[in-house]
Amino acid sequence: MAYRLGVDVGGTFTDLMLAHDKTEEVFRVKTPSTPADPSEGVLIGVRRILKESGVSAAELDYVMHGTTVATNAVLEAKGARVGLITTKGFGQILHLARSQTPGPLAGWMIMIKPDPPAALEDTREADERMDAKGNVVDALNEKQVQALIEDLIESGVESLTVSLINSYANPAHERRIKELLTESHPDFPVTISSDVLPEFREYERTLTACMNSYVRPKVAGYIKNLESSLEDLGVSCPVNILRSDAGLMSLSLTQEKPVYGILSGPAGGVAGAIAVATRAGFDDILTFDMGGTSTDVALCENGRPTIARETELGHFRVKVPSVNVHSVGAGGGSIAHVPEITKALRVGPESAGADPGPACYGKGGDAPTVTDANVVVGHLPPSLIGGEMQLDVEAAKTAVAKIGEALGLDVHQAAQGILDIVNENMAGALRLVSVQKGYDPRDFALIAFGGAGPMHANAVAAIMGSFPVLVPPGPGLLCAEGDLVADFREEFAQTYIRTIDRAEAEEVVSTLRALGEDARGWLEREGIAADRQSVDYSVDMRYYRQGYEIPVTVSIEDLEKNGLELLAERFNEIHEQYYGYRMPAECEMVNLRAVGVGRVAHPQRPEAEQIGDADASAAIIDEHKVYFEGDWLPTQIYDRAKLQTGNKIEGPAVIAEYDSTTVVLDGYSAEVDQYLNILINPNRPNRPNS
Amino acid sequence: MKDVKIAQIPDIEVDPVTLDIIEGALKNARHEMDAVLFRTAMSPVIREQHDEFPMITDPLGRMVVGQFGSYISEMMETYPEPVEPGDVILTNDPYKCGGAISHVNDWLVLVPIFFEEELIGWSSMFGHMMDMGGPLPGSLPTGAKTIYGEAMRIPPVKIFRKGEPVNDVINMILNNVRLPDMNRADLMGIVAGCRTAEKRVHEICERFGKSTYLATCKALLDRTYKAMAQLILQNIPEEPQSFEDWVDDDGLGHGPYKMKLTIWREGNHAFFDWSGTDPQAMGPINFYLNEGMFKMFIGIYLIMVFDPQILFNDGFYPLLHVIIPDGSLLHPKFPAALGCRTHALTRLFDVLGGTLARKSPEHTTAAGYGTSPYMLYSGWDRNGDFYYLMEISYGGIPGRPIGDGMDGHSWWPLFENIPTEYLEAYYPVRIDSYTTITDSGGAGFHRGGNGIEKLYVFLEPGEISIHDDRWLTYPWGILGGLPGKRSEKILRRIDGTEERLPSKCDEVRVQAGDVLVYRTAGGGGWKDPLDRPVERVEADVDKGLVSREKAESDYGVLVGDATGTEKLRKAMRAKRGEVKDFDLGPPLEEILATCEAETSLQPPVAPEPLSWAPMETGEQALRRVREQDQREASEPA
Repeated sequence: MAYRLGVDVGGTFTDLMLAHDKTEEVFRVKTPSTPADPSEGVLIGVRRILKESGVSAAELDYVMHGTTVATNAVLEAKGARVGLITTKGFGQILHLARSQTPGPLAGWMIMIKPDPPAALEDTREADERMDAKGNVVDALNEKQVQALIEDLIESGVESLTVSLINSYANPAHERRIKELLTESHPDFPVTISSDVLPEFREYERTLTACMNSYVRPKVAGYIKNLESSLEDLGVSCPVNILRSDAGLMSLSLTQEKPVYGILSGPAGGVAGAIAVATRAGFDDILTFDMGGTSTDVALCENGRPTIARETELGHFRVKVPSVNVHSVGAGGGSIAHVPEITKALRVGPESAGADPGPACYGKGGDAPTVTDANVVVGHLPPSLIGGEMQLDVEAAKTAVAKIGEALGLDVHQAAQGILDIVNENMAGALRLVSVQKGYDPRDFALIAFGGAGPMHANAVAAIMGSFPVLVPPGPGLLCAEGDLVADFREEFAQTYIRTIDRAEAEEVVSTLRALGEDARGWLEREGIAADRQSVDYSVDMRYYRQGYEIPVTVSIEDLEKNGLELLAERFNEIHEQYYGYRMPAECEMVNLRAVGVGRVAHPQRPEAEQIGDADASAAIIDEHKVYFEGDWLPTQIYDRAKLQTGNKIEGPAVIAEYDSTTVVLDGYSAEVDQYLNILINPNRPNRPNS
Repeated sequence: MKDVKIAQIPDIEVDPVTLDIIEGALKNARHEMDAVLFRTAMSPVIREQHDEFPMITDPLGRMVVGQFGSYISEMMETYPEPVEPGDVILTNDPYKCGGAISHVNDWLVLVPIFFEEELIGWSSMFGHMMDMGGPLPGSLPTGAKTIYGEAMRIPPVKIFRKGEPVNDVINMILNNVRLPDMNRADLMGIVAGCRTAEKRVHEICERFGKSTYLATCKALLDRTYKAMAQLILQNIPEEPQSFEDWVDDDGLGHGPYKMKLTIWREGNHAFFDWSGTDPQAMGPINFYLNEGMFKMFIGIYLIMVFDPQILFNDGFYPLLHVIIPDGSLLHPKFPAALGCRTHALTRLFDVLGGTLARKSPEHTTAAGYGTSPYMLYSGWDRNGDFYYLMEISYGGIPGRPIGDGMDGHSWWPLFENIPTEYLEAYYPVRIDSYTTITDSGGAGFHRGGNGIEKLYVFLEPGEISIHDDRWLTYPWGILGGLPGKRSEKILRRIDGTEERLPSKCDEVRVQAGDVLVYRTAGGGGWKDPLDRPVERVEADVDKGLVSREKAESDYGVLVGDATGTEKLRKAMRAKRGEVKDFDLGPPLEEILATCEAETSLQPPVAPEPLSWAPMETGEQALRRVREQDQREASEPA
């Protein structure tokens, strides 16, 4: 009993990784995903990896699982029919939303308003009212509420949310309604907003709670299938789900609060990138995950992801802690076009998708994509490794030539232009998570993964000054690795709006302590060994009445020793880093939070035994020419599988492997480290301004 | 502005890819300006409601990216001293910047951007301050008769010199406002936003070279010029088209005020003539309309209606010619009061839409709730602390070609409502209901949005102010769509009495327990409601957005009765005949005659002309603009 299994379900592939806790054994399997019932693909993968490794199901200690079931339910608008009970006078809370229409001026003319997760006709108003201090203004009319519950359930809603005004200050009425419901309908799924997000701002809290109800039946059904199939295989160990903040939660918690896992996929990628990077000795990294239709980037400091308090999903901003991933709608399949009226070169947001795909796939697509541009300039060799697919270079040229004609450029210049634009978009995304938060991207390594990441990483890093570029082996999917190294994580928070000078340190400390106790209790219930438990504390802070809070981490000991002034000082420091100044205004606390963390043992990754020398010529499989700033340079093509530790490669070079291609530009060189990562650095140190 | 070396724009070609990369970088910088401000501002008006506007210009002050027209060249023409790197200029005086900002609440900040010792552009931003001093909290007295009765005016002054704050000036300004900490935070947020843009422009110049950057700015302006020339040819008719609409009253009992626009085309140049608009008002509803700003409005409107992909900037300005008679409601003479210009500002879009609709009705929308309704509440609470709440409200978005108007949404971009839990946590107020008003949206094939109803329960004695419009005239429907419902405000006293409050009023005393029923107008409908699919009408009834009665009377739908509906619709069509292009409700004379009976408010009366502000005639104004165009055409660019 010493193995752990990471399973990540992506859009195309299901990725599995099996690791022994102590030895350095690692097995990896990739199988096609089964979107109709993702648990089928999981099952096939588990069966395969057990067979290939010779490990028995009984030897598994833990299964860690990243899933996009919740994400897809939202993106495809295929969640449950949700009933909502809110306070009298606020039945249109989701209908009114924040009343926002998009910019610029007159943007309302073209706005398309999304359907909220709970429809207006499925919303009811309860007779009750709390004030902002948590005092009861109108007592809960239980009789009326019971009638509402019956009415909603009879009307056919599949999941229920209760979200009342000021419930962050006093959740008593929400809890009572839940009790009433559970008494009459014990198994009916109900979410109360103060459980999911005990923070003020009623729209955001209601939306998040309704999102939870919206994905809940889907996720519960999936988990049920998964559990029973795994049981059939003889897997009896606990299964845990990866949360959006890259922590783990148990299946039972996932069934209750599935909204916490709404960005499980990207979180796995970031966690995987951190695992790979810290092993290679890089704690401060920018992750760069470029796929077919979108690209995710994130900044991680000291080997930890930055956690955002909210995340954007489809049309909605959901307030759950999430790895701060910024997503741009551009990837290898993005289509380049030149609008008639402006003659500008645009890349995306339309994508060729998987079918017909880029022109070079020869499946009937004729739109010029980023992938086609890569083929035209020679970054993508005509035959992919493994010989599974031959790329149609002529089709790519024909497609890209259309852009050239519209701009008055030859086909190669046009292709280079498409790449320049898309790389610039990527750099813009990276700038957003670094420069705009007061970080200097030149202090960060760039971890490239996803199908297209390694192809663009060198060029993007050149704009940002972020070196080295690190390309792990098998960069197509890093998520399963992320699942394996994720820690258990759960937050316990309470809104506490008070300026520093009007609050007592003792009260803050005792509240944090109580939240910390909740966290400990949770860790116990999850069965985490005492020496693997820890509790982190943070306080969301802002200047008095400012609209946005910044989480400030603090220890109870420091707080007891130094008082609340310490919080103000730290907040001021962070504010200055983010925005360049501090203000002489009062500092205000908004939320107090304890985060329970149960650490898991990280699997050792084997160091490559055979230390090769700098000569990489044994891995050369071909030579061709690559277009670079108007010239065609002779370029070696390497087979990544044949590269050895210590090998050095001078750019320009193309390194091919089964699920990705790495490009090393002229003026840069690559080295293979002891974990078989490729590290790309400039030949001459360059520190461009960023 | 003297002794400043302004960079020459080099006559070089920029390759198309670099052009697009720099365009993207400038767009990002402009969004970063917003982001920095939102996260550092303190007042809910900027922070939660987003009442602020950024831009980045070329060396000549022409906006390259942003959301409002430029004004810098006009403003800096008379600025007495040189600007230097690190300087920051502040103003709030509409009369000192050609109306670039149109009331004293807007604080406009300018940051010159230097590179290699030359002025290569400006970043600029303005935001609405909660208070600017003067007789009433909010600095928007509805009874002001001149701008002196509104609040302090700041001419363009430096608040930073070479990066150092000019504390004497800043302190003098903040000494005059009611919430100095808040103004300081908002002001520093605006400065930080402008500085961010400056930094980004520097980075672009370092990366691509100054010449390339400057040539790119010009190319981006040219690109928009060409795109707009096509839009004008396609969408502006040669024969003049006119439309008129009204602002209901001036807060002093005068009105309604007519706004009339006539549009025509000569070649690929378009003329927008406001002759026929009423003279300036005595009350503070005058809107000092900056011509550049109006060109930007036209551009935004055309682009949004006809081709939303175009980047808009100042490039197309030479194609548009704007005629506004001096002394009119839209170009008042100093010292006319300007505080409540939001009604005329919004009506301008109704009129512009209505005028353009005459040529391409399929593309345009009906009229919306028609203003930015404000509610202000202030006083001293039981602890002796001063409280002051200002909230902007929203209403019915008009029916649109793309779909129904949204219910209770903001007509201004990116504005947000203030969360009830925020209001109740910080102010002595409870919100008993916040919803949209059933049936307030005008019926149409695409329905007009419903207006908002908000019930404020005041928990401390204090004073309230109200700013709204469309209580008298109706948000019109288009192409058979019906008008939306009008706004109203009712004060239910704790003693059980009830009074209808005027649409614009100040210093209304309230007691703890009094309830204000605040209702904004709905939006007009778009096209024939009898053609609206029955299931959509029934869905609205299910949601409570439309009543059964209105489904029957306006849509000819008998819920759940398909045959009855068909019959009813047929009969209604026969009886009605052809639909109207515009449905503005009853004729104005009738609206005025029935005003008191319907609203229990006195109808406004026609104002006496102001002897000190005679209005220029339409002919004079047109001649003035043509002469100016000729002068500019003969000068080298």
